[in-house]
Amino acid sequence: MDRMRWAAFLLLGSALYAQTAQELEFFEKRIRPVFAAKCMGCHGPQASPVRAHLRLDSREGMRKGGDSGPAIVPGDAAKSLLMKAVSYTDLDLRMPPTGKLSDAEIADLRRWIDMGAPDPRTAAGGLAGSRQLDVERGKRHWAFRPVAKPAAKPEMAAGEPASKRVWLRRVTYDLTGLPPSREEMASYLADSSTESDGRVVERLLASPHYGERWARHWLDLVRFAETNGHEFDNDKLDAWRYRDYVIRAFNQDVPYNQFVREHIAGDLMPVKRLSRDGSFYESPIGTGFYWFGEVLNSAVDSVKSRSDQVDNQIDVMGKTFLGLTVACARCHDHKFDPVPTLDYYSLAGYLHSTAMQEAVIDSPGRGRAIGEAAAKVPHRQERRPETSLRENDVLFASFRGGTPDGWTAQGVPDAHGAKEFVGSYTSRKFALKQLWVHVLLRGTKTDKALRERAPLRVTVVADDHKSEHFFPGGKGWEWVTVRMTKEIGRICYFEIVDRARDGYLQVDRIVLSGDEKAPPLGATAEGAPEAPVPAQPSLPPSTFAMIAMDEDPGDTRVHIRGSHKNLGEIAPRRFLRVIAGEDQTPVEPGRSGRLALAEWMASERNPLTARVMVNRIWAHHFGKGLVPTPDNFGMTGERPSNPAMLDWLAARFVESGWSVKAVHREIVLSPQYRAANLPVRRLEAEAIRDALLAVSGSLDPAMYGRSVPPYISKYQDGRGKPKTGPLDGANRRSLYIEVRRNFLTPMFLAFDYPLPVSTTGARGASTVPSQALMMMNNEFVLLCAGRWAQRLEREEPDEQARVRRMFEEAFARPAEDWEVREVAAFARERGWKEAAHTLFNSAEFLYVQ
Amino acid sequence: MSSSHMRSAMTRREALCRCANGFGGMALLSMLARETASGAVRAPHFPAKAKSVIFLFMDGGPSQMDSFDPKPRLRADHGKPLPFKPPTTVFNISDKILGSPYEFKKHGQSGAEVSDLFPHVAGCVDDLAIIRSMVADHSEHTAANYFMHSGSGFQGRPSMGSWVNYGLGSVSENLPGFIVLESGLIPPGGLDCFGSGFLPATYQGTLFRKGEHPIADLEPAGGDAAGQRAKLDLLAKLNKGVVKRFGEVSEMEATIANYELAYKMQKEVPGLLDLSQESEATKKLYGIGGEWTGEFGRECLLARRLVERGVRFIELLTPERRGLDRWDQHSGIEKGHRINAQSTDQPIAGLLKDLKSRGLLDSTLVVWGGEFGRTPCAQFSEKGGASDVGRDHNPFGFTMWMAGGGVKGGQVVGATDDFGYFAVENKIHVHDLHATMLHLLGLDHKRLTYRWSGRDMRLTDVHGNVVKELLA
Repeated sequence: MDRMRWAAFLLLGSALYAQTAQELEFFEKRIRPVFAAKCMGCHGPQASPVRAHLRLDSREGMRKGGDSGPAIVPGDAAKSLLMKAVSYTDLDLRMPPTGKLSDAEIADLRRWIDMGAPDPRTAAGGLAGSRQLDVERGKRHWAFRPVAKPAAKPEMAAGEPASKRVWLRRVTYDLTGLPPSREEMASYLADSSTESDGRVVERLLASPHYGERWARHWLDLVRFAETNGHEFDNDKLDAWRYRDYVIRAFNQDVPYNQFVREHIAGDLMPVKRLSRDGSFYESPIGTGFYWFGEVLNSAVDSVKSRSDQVDNQIDVMGKTFLGLTVACARCHDHKFDPVPTLDYYSLAGYLHSTAMQEAVIDSPGRGRAIGEAAAKVPHRQERRPETSLRENDVLFASFRGGTPDGWTAQGVPDAHGAKEFVGSYTSRKFALKQLWVHVLLRGTKTDKALRERAPLRVTVVADDHKSEHFFPGGKGWEWVTVRMTKEIGRICYFEIVDRARDGYLQVDRIVLSGDEKAPPLGATAEGAPEAPVPAQPSLPPSTFAMIAMDEDPGDTRVHIRGSHKNLGEIAPRRFLRVIAGEDQTPVEPGRSGRLALAEWMASERNPLTARVMVNRIWAHHFGKGLVPTPDNFGMTGERPSNPAMLDWLAARFVESGWSVKAVHREIVLSPQYRAANLPVRRLEAEAIRDALLAVSGSLDPAMYGRSVPPYISKYQDGRGKPKTGPLDGANRRSLYIEVRRNFLTPMFLAFDYPLPVSTTGARGASTVPSQALMMMNNEFVLLCAGRWAQRLEREEPDEQARVRRMFEEAFARPAEDWEVREVAAFARERGWKEAAHTLFNSAEFLYVQ
Repeated sequence: MSSSHMRSAMTRREALCRCANGFGGMALLSMLARETASGAVRAPHFPAKAKSVIFLFMDGGPSQMDSFDPKPRLRADHGKPLPFKPPTTVFNISDKILGSPYEFKKHGQSGAEVSDLFPHVAGCVDDLAIIRSMVADHSEHTAANYFMHSGSGFQGRPSMGSWVNYGLGSVSENLPGFIVLESGLIPPGGLDCFGSGFLPATYQGTLFRKGEHPIADLEPAGGDAAGQRAKLDLLAKLNKGVVKRFGEVSEMEATIANYELAYKMQKEVPGLLDLSQESEATKKLYGIGGEWTGEFGRECLLARRLVERGVRFIELLTPERRGLDRWDQHSGIEKGHRINAQSTDQPIAGLLKDLKSRGLLDSTLVVWGGEFGRTPCAQFSEKGGASDVGRDHNPFGFTMWMAGGGVKGGQVVGATDDFGYFAVENKIHVHDLHATMLHLLGLDHKRLTYRWSGRDMRLTDVHGNVVKELLA
């Protein structure tokens, strides 16, 4: 025994001796029974699991403590966590949880700790220490090992080839989400060359419908939604721009690593991708994916609300790009994967350094054009009312001297000047304390009912909810006053937005106040003649988007057991150590560090990125991934059925310059995909609706733009209920129907449309009676049946030929004679609409072979 | 299906398909006719006391100190500030104590105190286990509603009605296993309160609206019932051909079979809604025909009829009343609570008595309560005078009650502090409530799991204890 250990032994011994018989008696009589009766259930030897890793059944356990640190400070009850817990003074730490101890028991505990916490109990079964997670060991898991490309394409069994018709219907639905037309079928059947399949695949990959189809798959991953949900289901402005961005990215075959980088840090990239027409930047739109989660409209605790948002962002980011359930490490080290809690909070640090922004993403060229056009607009008279602040007033911002400190300006903002202001201003974040907010502004009269959709407004954004608005009244300079309620004490920022081309908004100052009355205005305001508002349709349009920006960057502390009120060590921002190792370049001060994060996410050295994406593509073509759990490549996920094929595709993907279309070619032209014995699959909700429109002949192929409001039936109710859109969704493809979180389309839900709450790489394919009810009785399905029947009656006078045509349009095959007889007889008796409706209900319409 | 529970209990459909290696449309269809609308019946983990649940969800948050939790201290200190700093509330603008305007009296053999808001329910007090120490996690409606229903404050988790049906299946042949009777008000958070989240869509709550056409898409939009049969007959013929062409695929065959099941559901509902078979005495018991009680009375009676038809989980919502926002009286609480109580008191008592007299109460768990309770202090409306005061939200201590279905009635469990603000004795968290409800249904809340997002998810997350005191 060395000297140090001797010393420790002596110290411990003396401590034991120091406990007098009297003290120990006090423990036995007054303290031990309380622990035994009230604490051992969760913190004793029988507890499973031991709550908070805290054992109260031994002297060592008490002193070592659990996740939140030592339970007691011997000799100092006031500093002891145990006393805080039993006193019930803290809202979040109240023990025992089922009810407060008696005052006498609490007094005894206090006295006992103050006397030094004499305690004869020794740890018999050892302490419940926090498990040490072995990251090095975790690297041996198949998914973390480098991609190993086989020397040749791996052999894989393939069944007998399917017929040309079956293959064409399959590949057309898979690549475009729509059925093949009769003409497409005819031309393919007529093409007997060996190149015919390749030609079809090239045609489909070049079709704009390809991007629509695969964008929708992608939107499942990022829990795409266009409203905030919660109580009032407010709009997420410009969310649709992200949807269009994804469609364009797939159609243009933007390299996947670029696409990933844009998601993580598109707003920060030194070289940003421009739109094809050169009017705006594409790259920043990718960062919209951070903001599609649920947003509370009246969070009681801003800090918790933000932690929850970050948790959802980590969850989506981890599953989407890495196929890892990183979010499991929020409260404790990941139970299965090599992701310690520290790594979780390293990622959280990036996101806590990032904020949402309603931004203008005009290209420099477009910005110049707007600036030049704006310069030609006559200046408004610069007459400003004088005003002075009172004792109760706090000047939050004045725009008289240009952009105030801490504000980010976007577009061609000129709120301080006399010129038109086009764009947006975003303030720093702050905790709002005052009951009243006064904004001195002037501008074109704006409809209050538009709320966040108003083109001209000043807004208080509380915890990312656009909570209160200040609108110009069209009467010259005026104070607009709003009483704050739910916003008080929450993390807020101001946003000034001008999207109008036929109106204007000028803001002079923003005052926070304890006074209901706004500060008095000086003489200039009264009766001062205002310059007439020049209409400015000549200004080229700006592009707005919901994107990310750096905000108050810094590292985050570990939240012990996931609680923001119990902070532990600092987690330096860095990528998951199981992939990037311990030795990572620290983040530059003043920056979020997302650029470096983006590099790791999209890196060839990160074996997950390519594997996860090729597996997703495979899964959408075959109905099941090589890894059957596409969002979970961790220990609890399933292992690849054919690891060599997975690595072959992943390697080819990277070699091709991360071309998604190259992976499609590799797959759909393979004999495996050609096989007749592929599992039969039901179409997804959107494909069913799109096929109904396409077959009936009413599909509008228009692409992009603001979403079509969803049709709201009388069976859909609740707060934030929107005005209904058209029953036929304006005949647009389903991905253009607005995704209102609280009012999702029932027909989609019946067919397993995923809730926009987290990443969904594999949708369910449930079989429930409500699907039959929907197809049999829903007014939209009947509407399509009616249109189809009308068109057929017009285009095909002969009954038999009409039936044959129906089968080709709906099922991409000729009808058999008995089918023609049955359907024609039925139609004669009950009408063609009824016949069309019956064909829509056939299993053959809903399933692909 | 990737859950351990489902793995252990193969559904009837799976069993059929596996045993026979799949077979053609019509044969399967006739065998599946005994399959139910919400999945096959599955055995509970242990013998159950309750077979069905009626959840009387008083959304908006009824006040505990004005109903089931008398606090004389509030009257004594009326108008004084609270002697402690209250936690942050949604509006967070008052700390003046508000005494209850209602009178409390002891009732029944148990002598539990109930205010004069609920004279009829007070008459059933010996059947109730009144829990005065409920605790929830959220102070605003939406998150609190999600939490009360799904054990999580976020959108997108399965509602308890879905969990129950997932665990037990439905014995109702032709009706969904989880039905929400709606009378004009959907709670904040919307239909997601009744969603199946990551569980299969089969288990989601079906909204039953007032009137003749309660379920969306139940009847043909054109209304041609005769045509429906003819279409189904043609469809059956066509589908036979499909099975030949595509091969025997169990999911596709189930889809085909569902058409007959849907048809039977269509036929079931009119009979359910036809109250003419009920006696006048029964209708009167529920207050049907009463100015205030008619609407909720009808829903309560429908709830009993749904129980009789084997529906597992039935939820009722606060009825719509002009000028009132559910039980959420931030102002005008005296009048508002009076109206809500008047609308629901007699129907609820009628339901309890009717279930009891028919011998159904023993196997039907009735649960009453809101997503939280209210604060002991007054909230003044912006313009209002003294009579216009209300109370803010309070999840730290509130009252719910349970009856029937294996619950030990005639008792009061737990207590709040002198002000009714915090639960201090025998705290029962919403997770504990869920665990107890599942227990009464024969389900172990720790074993009722579904694998999602890399974890075995539970209604009670990683929490919850069965409250033994509540069990008979």
